[in-house]
Amino acid sequence: MSNEEMFKQLSDAIVSCKKDAVLAAVEKARDEGIPPAEIIEKGLAAGMNEVGVLFERGKLFLPHVMMAAGAMEAGVALLEEDMPKDAASKKLGIIVNGTVEGDVHDIGKSIVSTMLQSAGFEVHDIGRDVPLQDFIDKVKETNADMVGLSALMTTTLQGQKDVIEMLKEQGMRDGVKVMVGGAPATEAWANKIGADCYAENASEAVTKAKELLL
Amino acid sequence: MATEYKLRMGDGKRLFMTKEQIVADLKEGMADAADLGDIPDLSEDEIDKLVEIITMPSRMVGVEQGMEVPVTHDIGTIRIDGDQGNSGVGIPASRLVGAMMHERAFGADTMELGHIDYSYKPAKPVIAQEMQTMEVCQQNMIVPLLYGAMPNMGLYYTPDGPFENPGDLMKAFKIDEARESMEHSAKHLTRDIVWIMQRMMASGSDGVNFDTIGAAGDGDMYASLHAIESLRKQFPDIYIEAGMAGELLLGMHGELEYDGTVLAGLWPHQQAALVAKAGANVFGPVVNTNTSKSSAWNLGRAVTFIKQAVKDSTIPCHVNMGMGVGGIPMLETPTVDAVSRASKAMVEIAGVDGI
Ligand code: B12
Repeated sequence: MSNEEMFKQLSDAIVSCKKDAVLAAVEKARDEGIPPAEIIEKGLAAGMNEVGVLFERGKLFLPHVMMAAGAMEAGVALLEEDMPKDAASKKLGIIVNGTVEGDVHDIGKSIVSTMLQSAGFEVHDIGRDVPLQDFIDKVKETNADMVGLSALMTTTLQGQKDVIEMLKEQGMRDGVKVMVGGAPATEAWANKIGADCYAENASEAVTKAKELLL
Repeated sequence: MATEYKLRMGDGKRLFMTKEQIVADLKEGMADAADLGDIPDLSEDEIDKLVEIITMPSRMVGVEQGMEVPVTHDIGTIRIDGDQGNSGVGIPASRLVGAMMHERAFGADTMELGHIDYSYKPAKPVIAQEMQTMEVCQQNMIVPLLYGAMPNMGLYYTPDGPFENPGDLMKAFKIDEARESMEHSAKHLTRDIVWIMQRMMASGSDGVNFDTIGAAGDGDMYASLHAIESLRKQFPDIYIEAGMAGELLLGMHGELEYDGTVLAGLWPHQQAALVAKAGANVFGPVVNTNTSKSSAWNLGRAVTFIKQAVKDSTIPCHVNMGMGVGGIPMLETPTVDAVSRASKAMVEIAGVDGI
């Protein structure tokens, strides 16, 4: 089976919203030697996007999206076993990552955390629907070099700007880089709110983090 | 300067458009329906006819002679007495007076008796009054008088009912529990509708109107179809009208089926078959109005959907026409220019059997 066919199978498994199908497809892709990052981004995440399209068109509904999300989480969890937890003996840098207050979407954010971690960063994933002050507190506590802010809705995007303002108010902005992401975020938005970078997906997040921190 | 015609936005605001703009909007609305419902476009002739109806100079238009269709009123019994909150005109009058005025003064072809708290569940504690009123109305009226209410399955969820609110359960990611809650609610809803209608039939009702089926999603439709099936068995001659709440049956549950068909995601032309199979006499399809689009866009879309529903339905289709449905703007008292144009289009182009 070609990689393209395998990606299609992974994507279809997500669209079926069935956890068993997703786990089976992930196992198969793993056996074929496809790197975990590709399985996630080109297979599972692509399927999740398709789920989003079908949801908008009234072909799939909220319970289906929730089931697909659960299946995706399980698939990613399976792959995490393969990903080196401590790729480098010396940490490349410390990153706090989370989804902003009011937003429960955390699949993409968690993938970003996993990929940053396996690239050698020390990642503190503080979860989803995180009160904005918690980002500041965690940066202080861990002495982080970078904070990642995820938002998946136009209504919660503003939270990214607010955290940057709070960092400024508390005199911490110069000591920490800010990376933003999530479907409604863009390069232009990142520039507008004064973030240090924007990344479209998890592998780009790794590249950008390396650029900024190394 | 090109001639401009007076139209409405979906929210009722006055709008001026040229013929070219009208045609473009009609086609865009039509394409949206065709795409979503996977159904054919209107023909060029039908689009021309729609343009003609929209651009007619008269403030109010009517159907061509010989094309008249029956009109039915939901909750008309309290349209006289009810205040604006009930789409009424606030003239003190009993429900009997309301029904008789519709029959004798306004020319309604059938009528419905409805309670001011217009769902089946709240009719249970006042069933004796509903029975007595039905009897008195029947003694005074000639047109068929149905009993009508909304299935409104949301009333079976906490805090209004006994079953845990699926919305709360979903938020806690308890999908299975949410689904169970909907299944329990659906059983109770079917049971209540049947119980109420047994009593209304004993009081001389000619039938039942299911108003806004599916308002609480696919579970609401599931319960209603089972109630229709049961009523048809118990009362072979009962007249059953099944009117929908919206164009798309939302999958709150997502996996409920009727007669082997998954209910979630059905469009009007697909709903028709199930309603007929359950045993209804008349199907009331709905197309929702988009308030940020013109009446041309909305009408093009609504006529495309309803035409297909009429084509696929094996029973007569009485399209829902009123505030915010059927290409009519979303206003408590929709304007006569828009209502009459949309109605004419539904009869002459979509071919509906009634309104
Ligand atoms: C799955 C999903 C859900 C799941 C989430 C489960 C979970 N554990 O995350 C559930 C069912 C719970 C859900 C709930 C809701 N959802 Co939702 N959901 C989606 C869906 C279909 C897919 C999101 C996803 O996981 N994509 C796959 C991942 C891999 O991609 P990603 O998140 O974009 O992440 C990638 C990049 O963006 C980037 N990235 C992400 N984060 C970060 C962070 C950093 C720092 C960086 C650098 C990069 C980065 O890298 C990731 C990996 O490549 C989207 C539609 C869509 N196509 O996006 C809607 C969507 C986001 N949801 C939406 C809505 C409205 C809701 C609800 C309000 C429900 C509703 N009424 O419909 C609730 C929200 C409740 C709340 N308060 O948050 C809307 C938002 C609309 C808007 N205004 O913006 C969308 C767009 C769907 C729609 N069109 O209506 N949803």
